Amino acid sequence: MARYEGLFDALGLREWCDADKTEAPMSMAQLLAQASGGSEEATGPVLPFPSLDTLNEACARIGQTRDLTEGIEQGFLAIRGQLKFVLDPLTQPLSWMLDGALWVFETAPWWFMMPLLILVSWFVSKSRGVTLFVAFVLFFFAAIDHYNVAMQTLAIVFVCTGLSVGFGVPIGIGMSKSDTAQRMIVPILDLLQTLPTFVYLIPLIFLFSVTESKLFGIAIILYAIVPVIRLTDLGIRLVDKDVIEAANAFGMTNRQKLVRVELPLALPNIMAGVNQTIMMSLAMVVIASLVSAPGLGVLVLRGIRNLELGVGIVAGLGIVLLAVILDRVSKAALARVDKQRNTH
Amino acid sequence: MKLKHLIAVAAMALGFGTTSAKADCSEVSITEMDWASSAVVTYVSKFLMEQGYGCTVQLVPSSTTPAVASLAETGEPDIVTELWAAYTPAYFDLKEQGKVVELANVLVDGGVEGWWIPQYLADEYPELTTIEGIKANPELVGGRFHDCPDGWGCNFTNNSNLKASGLLEAGIERFQHGSGETLATAIAAAYEDKAPWFGYYWAPTSVLGSYPMAQVDMGPYNEEAHNCNVRDDCETPAMSSYPTAIVLTVATTSFADEEPEIAELMRNVQFTNVQMNEVLAWQDSNNASYEEAAVYFLTNYKDVWGSWLNDEARGKLAALLQ
Repeated sequence: MARYEGLFDALGLREWCDADKTEAPMSMAQLLAQASGGSEEATGPVLPFPSLDTLNEACARIGQTRDLTEGIEQGFLAIRGQLKFVLDPLTQPLSWMLDGALWVFETAPWWFMMPLLILVSWFVSKSRGVTLFVAFVLFFFAAIDHYNVAMQTLAIVFVCTGLSVGFGVPIGIGMSKSDTAQRMIVPILDLLQTLPTFVYLIPLIFLFSVTESKLFGIAIILYAIVPVIRLTDLGIRLVDKDVIEAANAFGMTNRQKLVRVELPLALPNIMAGVNQTIMMSLAMVVIASLVSAPGLGVLVLRGIRNLELGVGIVAGLGIVLLAVILDRVSKAALARVDKQRNTH
Repeated sequence: MKLKHLIAVAAMALGFGTTSAKADCSEVSITEMDWASSAVVTYVSKFLMEQGYGCTVQLVPSSTTPAVASLAETGEPDIVTELWAAYTPAYFDLKEQGKVVELANVLVDGGVEGWWIPQYLADEYPELTTIEGIKANPELVGGRFHDCPDGWGCNFTNNSNLKASGLLEAGIERFQHGSGETLATAIAAAYEDKAPWFGYYWAPTSVLGSYPMAQVDMGPYNEEAHNCNVRDDCETPAMSSYPTAIVLTVATTSFADEEPEIAELMRNVQFTNVQMNEVLAWQDSNNASYEEAAVYFLTNYKDVWGSWLNDEARGKLAALLQ
């Protein structure tokens, strides 16, 4: 196996290599070689890639890959105190907002909450069909005793979408104004969309108490904020250059240009981003339930774990229904925005 | 080596394969569950089957519920390791229908479930290892009971016991985790801060292997009370500790008939909790993989696994067993 031993010998590093040598755990390959009783050289590829593990076999001083991962873990634990000192108070309002919203949605009686939600969807969408559909879905949830869990999910989605839009739109505006900012932020957005959630959620438990609702709030927001940032940036960049020129000719300040020209013209794109953000927060509901978020996700997980297929399917379809009403309402609002703009 | 392979392939091509496959072992699929002790069992079994009995072993990454469901519907995988029988009611149906046979109690001593506090907490306040002690000072354990996720069998049992114990009235809040990962991380995070912790866990696991925990005395095991406690709708919850969990190795009946030698081997593959905890603690302190933990077991417990094999396999592995 140790094909690189000669290399270290030739470089005169043998002594350095063997100093304070310790026994590394035996690998399955070594055991198999021992079991077959043959010479070690007979097995394995002729020229293995000089990876850390391969080099470690030839020279014990070179760390194995596990030392790298171990180092990352130790590094994180070492700066844990400082991280906690900064991040814990900074994110505390998120916990309060989530707990507050959950409390409101859970304690408000159904005869107050359901008409309120139906009225809100009417004012936002101004569409009779959409409002009727929302009413139907809400009554359906109540009829099959899923009203409470659906409200919990809705509360979480409202808070997380609200915060995503609140932070996402300004970030998107900043990105559209500076190419450097865009170059820096785009890779971060790619990372947020692809990094498996548990990879950063589990370290977060070392920083915050696992019982804090901000854990799942962070998980949802980090995932859902991406489309609204991207589409705000895109929308403002797509504003016709001639219009900006005209605005300049009128002697508008940057602030006036942004508020009166760019944002109104970019609004359809921004609304499309908001719509996507709502959908993404709903998509994260089940993952959020893995870090103790209440709501429909818990029922989905129960269905999976106990093979109660019916429970899982009903809860899963419930999430789809919530997604459809939120999508239809926000799409109807988007259509109204478009229409107003075109009639100007 | 190569020549042997060629001959084997040629023999298969000529149709001798079918007869010789009966004598030797052909292909075996075995579950690889997503927790430490089970993974060690799986890798040790894989090694013994491949090196001692000449099987081709396919590992099937899985967990209990999907594995049993797949067993019921498709008769695959051949062998399921570490089945915690009490939490798998579907298993008893399968056994009754004769689809599966029980090979062994893979953990001889059985699994231990219970309520735990960290050892440092028990050292500082010994009274916290009793329910009464916790009721008197709920703030010393953080005022919180870390319960297992919804959908796990322990969920109902813990809920009933909490009601019966009066801990809720004493100011202990029940916090239900969303997943086993966060439950384990909560213990690890508490240990980093030497913070109070009180909740449910089970052994042998690498978590309890690497973070010493003291068991809270839940009183004696009362079968009648426990049988009510495990139900969602238990009307008269009464305090009872967990019974020793039976942890099984299970194979499909057809596999046990076709491969009696492998079945015999798997009947012998049994670990004591002392052995398993030692292996898991070594694995954790060396940051080793499950496979390396299996190698550690194979190199340090040669007498143990040597006695599991039949004579032929012992001959094949003689180089290692010396």
